[in-house]
Amino acid sequence: MRKVIGFVLCLVLGVLLATQVHAAAPMELAFWGGWTGPDGDVMRAMVHQYNARNPDVHVTLTTLQWTPLFDKFLTSMRAGEGPDLMAMHPQDTAQFIDGGLLEPLTAFGANVQVKAGDFDKNAWGYSSYKDTQYAVPLDFHMHGLYYNVDLFKQAGLDSTHPPTTGDAFIEAARRLTIDAAGRHPGDAGFDAKNVKQYGVAFPNNHHAFYIWYALVHQQGAGFSIGGTQVNFDDAQGIAAWKWEEDLIFKHQVVPVGESNPAQDFLTGRTAILIDGPWQMPAMQKQQGLNWATAPFPTVFGRPAVWGSGHILTVPKQRDRAKQVAALDLAQWIVRNSDFWATSGNIPVFRLASETDRFRRLQGRAAFVSMLPYEVILPNIVKSAQVFSAAAPSPIVQAAQAATLRNEDPATIVRTLRQRIDSVLAAP
Amino acid sequence: MANLVRSAAAAGPLARTVDHAAVTRYLFLVPYLIVFALFRFGPIAGGWLISLTRWSLIGSPRWVGAANYRALWHDPLFWVSVKNTLAFTAVAGPMLVLGGLALALLVDQPLRGRHLARVMIFAPYAVMSAVVGVLWNWLYDTNFGILNYYLRLVGLPVVAWLTNERVALAAIALTTVWWTVGYNMVIFLAGLQEVPVELHEAAIVDGATFWQRFRSITLPLLTPTTYAVVILTLINTGQVFDQIYVMTAGGPGTATLTLVQYMYYQAFQTYNLGYGAAIAYATFVVLLVVTLIVQRLFRREVAA
Repeated sequence: MRKVIGFVLCLVLGVLLATQVHAAAPMELAFWGGWTGPDGDVMRAMVHQYNARNPDVHVTLTTLQWTPLFDKFLTSMRAGEGPDLMAMHPQDTAQFIDGGLLEPLTAFGANVQVKAGDFDKNAWGYSSYKDTQYAVPLDFHMHGLYYNVDLFKQAGLDSTHPPTTGDAFIEAARRLTIDAAGRHPGDAGFDAKNVKQYGVAFPNNHHAFYIWYALVHQQGAGFSIGGTQVNFDDAQGIAAWKWEEDLIFKHQVVPVGESNPAQDFLTGRTAILIDGPWQMPAMQKQQGLNWATAPFPTVFGRPAVWGSGHILTVPKQRDRAKQVAALDLAQWIVRNSDFWATSGNIPVFRLASETDRFRRLQGRAAFVSMLPYEVILPNIVKSAQVFSAAAPSPIVQAAQAATLRNEDPATIVRTLRQRIDSVLAAP
Repeated sequence: MANLVRSAAAAGPLARTVDHAAVTRYLFLVPYLIVFALFRFGPIAGGWLISLTRWSLIGSPRWVGAANYRALWHDPLFWVSVKNTLAFTAVAGPMLVLGGLALALLVDQPLRGRHLARVMIFAPYAVMSAVVGVLWNWLYDTNFGILNYYLRLVGLPVVAWLTNERVALAAIALTTVWWTVGYNMVIFLAGLQEVPVELHEAAIVDGATFWQRFRSITLPLLTPTTYAVVILTLINTGQVFDQIYVMTAGGPGTATLTLVQYMYYQAFQTYNLGYGAAIAYATFVVLLVVTLIVQRLFRREVAA
């Protein structure tokens, strides 16, 4: 009986408290982003800080992997229950703008306090679509090299001068690949079935396509999508796939079919990793790993590296006050993005990338130096159909034909072009 | 006489009471029927309608008639996913049914620790599919997985379980067997309890061996149970999704792209909702055909 009375009392008290709180309820803001790693924790900490500073607003951050997050975004927007602030990548906006889901920044007038000059010039440009600004850019991320300093020294390589060209990259990787008897690929009697340490951890998913994308840009003609056609030079496309395949199957410096390249690098089984800055928190945590970063090598004529970034968009909704509050939140996050940089991402707000807090962070300089050479995927309405990271997509099929099957590069290029064109031509 | 009159007079109202009872019975069904209509029949019918449209979640659906189905017929990835689904069923199905039966026979013996064994074999079934996927991703890891660790220990070459196109589907089948074989075992175990002990006792008196008793008593009497297990296994393996989504997402290449995986890709990863719905209905047809064939085989079995 006493328990029951106690329970009822608690309930009454609870209801009273709840109504009390309700009297001064802050504005609730929903903020969604696809940050499911350590980056999610960093953003949550930022939101927490923002809430503490702004008692009249309460922001809730929801994180899910990007693809399910966009499903949730599309269905919630239909139901009129979308988020107030939505993070995405520059190449994601066209499909949502085409569907009328995003508010252009021009609709906010004087509430927009950041301007083009505050940002890296590429970042601001990437946040617009058909000459209209739709987002506040937050960060960039791009491929770079992570390398194991100790393994470099053991192999007699200069750990202060990591490879910058394709040939130097292959030569370093060759010397870093060691079989059970201490021989390297190319040496007489090298035992490819019994390799103790590999030179390079190379992706076999959509990131292998991103590397191809960079290598195509390095050859000059680039890659673009116009109307119902994909444009790139066949010979350049073939050369790029061939470089990837040779690395794996001819030079034998990459383990075929790695299930977790980053893990292999972290534990010293591979000496070089091609990956994005989001790996840096894991690198810092790894005990005994002596790591450094270097720019993505220039294999062909000119430097180019695949990249993307995060941008903050304000979805359409009836409640104007919430939209304005969401924009305020976005601008606060961007201004304080030197803290966001601890998640590995490279802030594009100039002042944030010039603070001591940012400069003290290990490994960022190499990524920052690549900002001018970053090439992002074309921002098209059909980006999900063409560039999906899921296995059946045209780009992943091409990537795995090269990295797992060593297929004829000319066939890969032909199939890739056919599949992208057929997706573009479909109504 | 008075009795007769009374019963004649009662006949009218009584008949009405019977009617009431019938109505009441149906009324009791209403809550379920509402839920069924809303969450089962509604989506099934809605899915059919969606499969006749082009719809990207954004904007309104546009009626295209049978165009999605026509496109499906000419879509190589669809046929790859049909082939993979059937291959998966052909590999995992027999292991699940025969394995379930063998385990049920084993833990039905009066051995010590059989209760613990039953629990342990069934336990994986209670684990969430995502957890199963992550767990087996670790076991199968090319460089750090325990499976390859043992292969190395005995001097065998390591296998890239989930990144080799030739083994990935079989690896996922193995995971599925580990995960769900306990469920089939429980159904078989229940079926075994229905087999009369006297038959076995009489057979033992007649000098029948274990194998003879199994062939002539247990197996025939288990037929209804086996039928249920086979059909359930077919339907479940035909709809395989969770573990593939977590472990390979359809790759490497298209090695583990199954029908439901492809449906998910079209509907929710590339926003072709109408096309995805068409794949769902095609899956339904494939499963229906396979189920009908199996049903016919069993009927013949029962008739013989």
